[in-house]
Order: sequence, then structure tokens, then C-alpha cells
Amino acid sequence: MTGTTLVAPFVAPSISPARRSWRRYRAGILFVLPALILYLIFMVYPFFRSIYFSFTSWNGVTAVKEWVGLANYRELIGDNLFWLSLQHTVIWVIVGTIAPIAIGMLLAILLWSRPKGFTLFRTFYFMPQVLSAVVIGIIWNWIYNPIFGILNESLDAIGLKDISRGWIGDPDVALYAVLVAAIWATIGLCFVIFLAGLQNVSKDLLEAATIDGANVWQRFWNVTVPQMASVINVVIALLLIWGFSVFDIIFVMTGGGPANATEVLATYTYKEAFTQNNVGYASTLSVVITVISLIASVTFIRLRERQEA
Amino acid sequence: MAVTSATRGTFAETRMASRGFSLGRLTGRVGTYAILIAFLVIFLLPFIWIWSSAFKTSQEIGRNPFALPTELRWGNLVEAWTVGHFSEYMLNSAIYCAAIVAGSVAFACLAGYGLSMLPLPGRETVLVLFLLGLTVPFQSVMIPMYYLLRDTHLLETYWAFIIPGIAIRLPFGIFLMRGFFRGLPPELGDAARTDGANEWGVFRQVFLPLSWPGLATLILFQFMWAWNEFAMPLIFVQRDALRPVSLGTMFFFGRFTADRGMIAAGVTLSMIPVVLLYLILQRRFIEGITAGALKS
Repeated sequence: MTGTTLVAPFVAPSISPARRSWRRYRAGILFVLPALILYLIFMVYPFFRSIYFSFTSWNGVTAVKEWVGLANYRELIGDNLFWLSLQHTVIWVIVGTIAPIAIGMLLAILLWSRPKGFTLFRTFYFMPQVLSAVVIGIIWNWIYNPIFGILNESLDAIGLKDISRGWIGDPDVALYAVLVAAIWATIGLCFVIFLAGLQNVSKDLLEAATIDGANVWQRFWNVTVPQMASVINVVIALLLIWGFSVFDIIFVMTGGGPANATEVLATYTYKEAFTQNNVGYASTLSVVITVISLIASVTFIRLRERQEA
Repeated sequence: MAVTSATRGTFAETRMASRGFSLGRLTGRVGTYAILIAFLVIFLLPFIWIWSSAFKTSQEIGRNPFALPTELRWGNLVEAWTVGHFSEYMLNSAIYCAAIVAGSVAFACLAGYGLSMLPLPGRETVLVLFLLGLTVPFQSVMIPMYYLLRDTHLLETYWAFIIPGIAIRLPFGIFLMRGFFRGLPPELGDAARTDGANEWGVFRQVFLPLSWPGLATLILFQFMWAWNEFAMPLIFVQRDALRPVSLGTMFFFGRFTADRGMIAAGVTLSMIPVVLLYLILQRRFIEGITAGALKS
């Protein structure tokens, strides 16, 4: 109230409120508008259109998209391949989150005091992170090759010939074989972020704990980890979002096979949408991916806020 | 190998450096280096294997896959470049990367500036809208995106990867640049404003020159992403003549499965630009990653 009376005399009476706020906001709107328009057309609109498609039986060709209500969602519940893909995705997310975090943390702690060779180790630990999924996939396909792969040759050399096999051709181990390749490429990222996070961990507290008689494990679990909680949460959130939508490396290495042994939600969605032309049903699958990864990341952000509060 | 001599070196130095010889400490150091070097081998060996195979014939690889090449044979690389279409794939990737980096960096820089430095109605709503974009996977939008591109006749053109490529990378860029601009004092622009500069002038003359560190990081990450991106070109550009390196490498792998020297050469070519860039600018890479992860 007082604000308006104070400001009023400074404004020329001929300018309408609308024009006044346009003047005030013009610059901000013009700076944001190009990005916003592109984003609305190519991200926000497709996002909602996906949801709409999931209620139709569209095949991508016909002009009319027939509304089928919840039929696709009912089909989903009875679809064994969907549940199998979901199961593989969950395994992928759990193993693919825990393993790189554990190994990355180990390496970060070993290099915490910046021993000799620090830069060398850091440079090469992180290097796989800059590769494309195609390059990672081909390299690991070679490593796993049943005829000339180094994995089998190494196993033969140390007398474990019985274990050697065509790793990604064996339905029992294929998913884990691909996971190992993905973990190999992800450790560097976790390691580097943890290394930065460790800078803020108090060494005085650790020394105090040592004097109080805490062993290495107790010091790690009770002193270091609590101080790293927010950093660990960020990494978990990142890996969860990537994990639920994993596509590239599986598509390159196995294409979801053998016998659907590495089928995950994203590869199943791709096949339904672009090779089977079941656009409606594929959209339903994509909505499931969206919902799961949104729930995961929102839950995580909430947990983090609660921790910080 | 060099690794073992390095161990011996550090081993001796550790012994000399540690005041008061302590056996427990020494074994701890040795154990630490054993683990560190084991992981170094795990991360580095595949690279060395692929790179050295690129210089060997398939017969040589067959005889001993681990042996370093006895002489540098450039034949595989030349053949991958010409017969394997890598010259075209690399050119296509250069076009995609230039356009996607330019577009996403320009739009993200402007929007990041507007969202941090200028008054804007509904700023929180716009921010949340972009923030959600960070958590939405490509699968959530890819199907309607495909049909949108088809209906606008952009499918099977360079634009089919460029335009959605810019759009999907906007949230990351906006948050990086917004974070960067928020670290600058807004008062810096006041002098220029009293001199009569408009907001565009303030941005151009005062803040844009200051934003180079942030922009450089953003350019680096957008380039790496665009070079490596796979799913988007896989779905939107299927013609071989338009394939970027990532996609080209995969089809190349399918075509030359039996020719190991050739595949190693293709994979090497496909990773050279990003690996070189990383080795030259590794500190910026690592600082960018950690800053991005810890601030967001």
C-alpha cells in the first residue's frame, strides 16, 4: 500500500500498468525466451504427448489415433517381457549404483593424501568416462570374445578354464557381463566426485577417532561417511536417473539378447516403438520409465532435504 | 614394464620419507600402491590393447593379442578412414557438434543470465520446468519427438539430431550458467547502466567477458556429449551419409566383425578427439564435473 503511493509520483501518468511491467520485465523475458520456446516445443510438448499416446492404440501410420483408455496399462500387467525387463532394470540399478560407488570411494580414500603419482592415477581412472557407449561396448565385446577375448585367455592362463565361456552369449551371465563394462566406465566419475568431497572432511575428527581407538572401518563408516553424505547422495541420484533409462551400452553389446536375458525397459521400449510400430504400447512403457525415474529422483531430493534440515 | 619400476621407486622413497621405520606403515603403503596400480592396469589396459591392435594386422593380433606392434602399420587406419567411411562420419560429427554446441551454449548462456540477473515474472516456475528436464530421460520424449520431426519433414536431415540435441541439453547448460552468473556480483552492471547502456549492452560488455570460465566448461561438456551421443542419431538419422561417428562406428563394427585390426583402427579413430581433448584439458574436465555435481 505504502509502496504504491511512494512509487506513483515517479511514473508518468500516460503509461499503463501493462506497459510498465513489460518495460520492467522485457529484458529478462527476451533473454529466456529462445531457450524456453525450443524447450517447450521439443521437450515439454513431447513429454505430455507421450502420456497421451499411451492411452491410444496408434501404430504410427494411421491418421486417427484410437483412444483405448487404460487398455495398454492392463496389457502391461499381463506382459511377462515387461516384468522381465523391469527385473533386469532393477538389478542394473542396484548393482550399477552400489559397485561404482564402493570402488570409487575406495580409490578416492587411497588417494586422499595425494601420494606420489596422484595425477597419473586420477587421469587414467577417469579416462573411460569420456568414451562413447559404442566404444566401451566394442572394447568389452572384445574382452568377452569366446575365441580371442583376453578374459578367457587370462582365465585359461591361471588354470580356470572351466569358468571361461562366451560371456555375453550366455543368458545366465550376460546381464552382469554388460554391467561390468558399464561399471568400468562409471567408477572414474564417482571417484573424482568423492575425491572433491573428501576435501571437506575434517582430518582432525579422524585423528580424534584414531586416538579414541576406532579402527579403519569404524573411522570410515562413523566419521568419513556422515561428512560425505550429501556428496554420496548426489552421486546416487545421478546413477539412479541414468540406471533406470540405460539403453546405449546394452543396445550396442547385446541388443537385449540372448533370449531377452539383457532386456531392460529402455531397450524393450525402443523395439516396441521403432521395430514393432506399437507406438501406443511403447509410449505406455516410456511413461513407466518416466514415473519410476521421477519417483526415484524426487524421493532422493526429499531425503536429502530432510538430512540437511 | 614401466609400472613395476615405478612401484620400486615409490617403495624406496616411502621408506626414506617415513620418519622412524614402521613395518606396519610400510606394508600399508605397499598394499595401497598394489591396489592403485591394479586399478590403473584395469582402466588402462583396454586402451593400450585397442590402440596397439590398430597398428597390427589381424594375423599379428591372432598370434599374440597383447604384444605391442613390432612396426607401425598405418594401413588399418587409412582403410578405416576411406573404405570404412570414417572420413564422412568424422565430418558429420564435426557438423553436429559445431551446431549443437553453438546452439545449446548460446541459448543456455542467455537463459542462465536472464534467470539469475534480471527481473522475471514466474521465475521459479520456469526454473522448476528446466530442473525437471534434468531428471527426465530421453525415453520419456523420444517417441513423440520422432513423429514431430517426421511431421515437420526434419527426419533424416542434419536438423533431426541438431534441434532435439540442443533442446535436451538446455537444462544442464542453463543450470551451469545460472550457477556461474550467481557467483558474480550484480552491482558490476550498475556502472554501465548509469552510462546509459541497455540490458543487452550490460550483458555484452560486462558479464559475457567475465563468463568465459563457465562457458569454456560448458562448451567442453556439450562437445563431449554431442560427440558420444548414440540413441538420438540412431532413431532420427538412419541414412549412412548422415551418421555421426558414434553410430558409424557401430555399423562399421557389424560390417568388419572378422577384421580385428580394422575394428581397432575404427574404434581408435572414433575416440581420438575426445580422449585427446580430455588429456589436454583434464583439469578443467575434472573441476567441471565436480563443481557441477556438488553445486547442483
